[in-house]
Amino acid sequence: MATSRNKRRSGGWLAGLGWPLRGVGIALFLASAALGEITGRQLVQLDRIVRARFEGTLFRVPSRVLSAPLILYPGLDFELIDLRGTLERLGYREASGNSLALGRFSLARGELRIHRRAFEHPSRAEPARLVALQLDGRSIEGIRDLQTKREIGALFLEPEQVGAYYGPDREQRELVRIDDVPQQMVGAVMAVEDQRFYRHIGLDFWRIGGAMAANLRAGSFVQGGSTLTQQLMKNFFLTPDRRLKRKLQEAAMALITEARYEKSAILEAYLNEIYLGQRGSTQIHGIGEAARFYFGKPVRDLSLSECALIAGLIQSPNGLSPHRSPEQAQARRDLVLRLMLQQGKVTQDEFAEATAEPLRVATVTPDLRDARFFLDALRRELPNYYGEENLAAEGLRIYSTLDLRLQRAASRVISEELARLEKQSRFLAPKGGQRLEACLVALRPQTGEVLALVGGRDYAASQFDRCTQARRPAGSLFKAFVYAAALEPASGAPAITLASSLDDSALSIPVWRNVWEPQNFDHQFHGTVPVRLAFEKSYNVAAARLGQVVGIARVREMAQRLGVESPLPNVPSLALGSGDLTPLELARAYATFASGGIRPRVRTFEDVIDARGQTLERQSIEFERVLDSGTAFLMTSLLQGVVDHGTGYGIRAAGVAGPVAGKTGTSDDERDAWFAGFTPEMVVVLWVGFDEPRRLGQAAAQIAVPIWARFVEEASGGNVAGAFPVPGDVAELEIEPATGAIALDGCPDRRPEFFLRGTEPVETCPQWRGSQPMPPQPRDFEPAAPEPPERRRERSDDEPGLLERFRRWLEEG
Amino acid sequence: MTSRGVAARTVAAPLRVSTLAQDGDARRRASTQLVLDGLAIETRGSVRDAVARYEDALKVDANNPLASLALARFEIFAGDPDRGLAYLDRYAALAGGRSDAAAHLAGLRGAALAQLGKRALAAPYLEEARALAPTVWGDGRLDPSELR
Repeated sequence: MATSRNKRRSGGWLAGLGWPLRGVGIALFLASAALGEITGRQLVQLDRIVRARFEGTLFRVPSRVLSAPLILYPGLDFELIDLRGTLERLGYREASGNSLALGRFSLARGELRIHRRAFEHPSRAEPARLVALQLDGRSIEGIRDLQTKREIGALFLEPEQVGAYYGPDREQRELVRIDDVPQQMVGAVMAVEDQRFYRHIGLDFWRIGGAMAANLRAGSFVQGGSTLTQQLMKNFFLTPDRRLKRKLQEAAMALITEARYEKSAILEAYLNEIYLGQRGSTQIHGIGEAARFYFGKPVRDLSLSECALIAGLIQSPNGLSPHRSPEQAQARRDLVLRLMLQQGKVTQDEFAEATAEPLRVATVTPDLRDARFFLDALRRELPNYYGEENLAAEGLRIYSTLDLRLQRAASRVISEELARLEKQSRFLAPKGGQRLEACLVALRPQTGEVLALVGGRDYAASQFDRCTQARRPAGSLFKAFVYAAALEPASGAPAITLASSLDDSALSIPVWRNVWEPQNFDHQFHGTVPVRLAFEKSYNVAAARLGQVVGIARVREMAQRLGVESPLPNVPSLALGSGDLTPLELARAYATFASGGIRPRVRTFEDVIDARGQTLERQSIEFERVLDSGTAFLMTSLLQGVVDHGTGYGIRAAGVAGPVAGKTGTSDDERDAWFAGFTPEMVVVLWVGFDEPRRLGQAAAQIAVPIWARFVEEASGGNVAGAFPVPGDVAELEIEPATGAIALDGCPDRRPEFFLRGTEPVETCPQWRGSQPMPPQPRDFEPAAPEPPERRRERSDDEPGLLERFRRWLEEG
Repeated sequence: MTSRGVAARTVAAPLRVSTLAQDGDARRRASTQLVLDGLAIETRGSVRDAVARYEDALKVDANNPLASLALARFEIFAGDPDRGLAYLDRYAALAGGRSDAAAHLAGLRGAALAQLGKRALAAPYLEEARALAPTVWGDGRLDPSELR
């Protein structure tokens, strides 16, 4: 035996076997060698996959667009801005008592207390702050910092999310670093999903054994034994099926991952990857996003009970959703808390307090579908290197200029008013599959910020943005450029002053082999009419003739200087708006009037920040003076007249008070209805029409003005604040309206009028005689702006002032 | 403008934003407070945050001349005289002829022109500013703390 054993030893173990058995042995050996090689290759392959993921881009994070921050300050109408609604949308919860936890507010005895969370912003970052707002009626009377006991001038609230640029998977996540995750969040997840996470090697054999036993007892699959690492592997690389091959791959990858990476890195990846619910068609991934979605706050501010609720969702995010099934969600939350108590992760007191906390989750704010037009416009404004792929993956934060309150109001007004118009007139009713359309863009003229943009009534039906992509005949909106060109003293005296009269009699202008004969809307001619009346009533013939006086080339140049970029035809009818323009460029041009002749650069965003908080882009306010402030003011005054007495009077009739200026526009055959108007701090351009142009059957005064008025009424509360500042180079004089002469004592008819200094009328009413007191001097506005000294030096001596001209007039007899 | 011409005028103390903090309605005061915050932040060296405050002041009250003045000062000394002059024009249009702003208007215009290489044009403005407010404009600059 010993010999034979030795032989077997010397001849190998196969030597002692018979040939059949030896053959089987060889076959087994080769098979196991082959299996080993295949397994080895597969492991190498799996290792490569794991490393590629962990060491490459771990997550695609959609870039999100945030609104402009809300600035609270004394004097602000908090009802108008829907302060409570804003706080709730931002995830602030109402509480009682004076001791407020972070992210809570309370209202008692005319005082609104807010424990505002830390404000993350590239240039406006502020720490958390406990403040009290003293309220009086609808107004904020004062803001006091309760920690420093000091009054503060302005308080910023965090911006709201406007939307995001998703990839095809429509996954939304906010990445968190493991160091920023509260320990109780980690504890809650481990308690319910993998309590031995820090003790296993990727597979928890103890737990697998337990799960197998449970499944055998039940006769079906009732319990899983997956660790967090396995779950992560499944979510990263695999399908959710339960076949053996997939489970083996999952196990192998979990082992590889644990061998290669720290527990903290694996846990961080898991917490960012895990699916936690659905917001419409968007998937909520990771605890950072879930904290925002369910509680409206960053993960670091979550309470114990909130952490437990999120951890409880992992098992079945939609079935246990606190929005849909609050009772099940609460029961699951309490189960997680109980497990934490059993595992010593919380004390009995903490457990009792957390389970006593009622379930309170943030309101689900649906995606602002109509802000999609704005998001598209913003994307077009971003430099080219922010391609769709980068925006969908890089997790940028784009701080936009959008005022969400105005955006919501614009969407609502467009939607409701178009529905009303459709019922009102057969011309406006849907026909041949075409519905009435509209667009509205609102800018802050001094800064060029786009405050609201609605490119059409339904983004889902048509993504075509009529504000930035559609060029339509501007109609009478263009007359503002004609009058501006005529009022501007570009080289010498201006063609008109506001005291001039225009000729509104029949006009024939040869155009090639034809004759152009403009008509007024009422098909009548009005003879000699004051400039104001011609503009307020939008007389076509007077404007066409004025265009000829000034020259179409100069009118074009004025339009382009003010901000029009579309090509303009060099034809007489341009004066009446035959050029096709976009609402956005009209908004910019009218903003130039509103901001005193300074043309702003239109901006949809201020800052672009990368995932690490580094600023990639910053758009500052940019502008250029393109028109003197005096002419801009005269135009503003003319445009105010349109609203106070002319075709825009519907705005006053709708109850909008305060300084408002604007112009109606109706294109040929009533195919486009416009209103472009502004208050001291907002320009709004509204267009209404059909995509395939057809007759609207009414003028802009009936179609566009009421919509514009309603939007501004909702934006301002009906009482527009502020004033249009009168620049120093403008003077006010009393004139006789019929002649434009300076009204002296005894003049029977008079009204005040504005003039650029040096363009005041020289005639008087009644005719001035030397024995009478001197005619009135232009009334200076206090305080008058000084002229820049170089301008004073540049003034030529042959431009006499009013007194000098009177002196010469007297000398000339 | 020569210093002789200046001497004939009544010289007011140069404008400081803090003296106007209580002027105007609540909105204007909130906006001015943001300008003051910005000037304080800029004094501490956080330029980007300061500009954000000035721009916020415009958002609260777009016609607050002091916000334009603060931005004019910032842009001119940050090396963008064209933008600075545009803000200065806006300030002048909004504020009118405040006698206490004359030194800053002249000085900022002079500083901007000097940066644009127009030294001959700039000199009389700077001279005027120095004459009107020697303690502020003696060094040809307007620091945020001096405007605050």
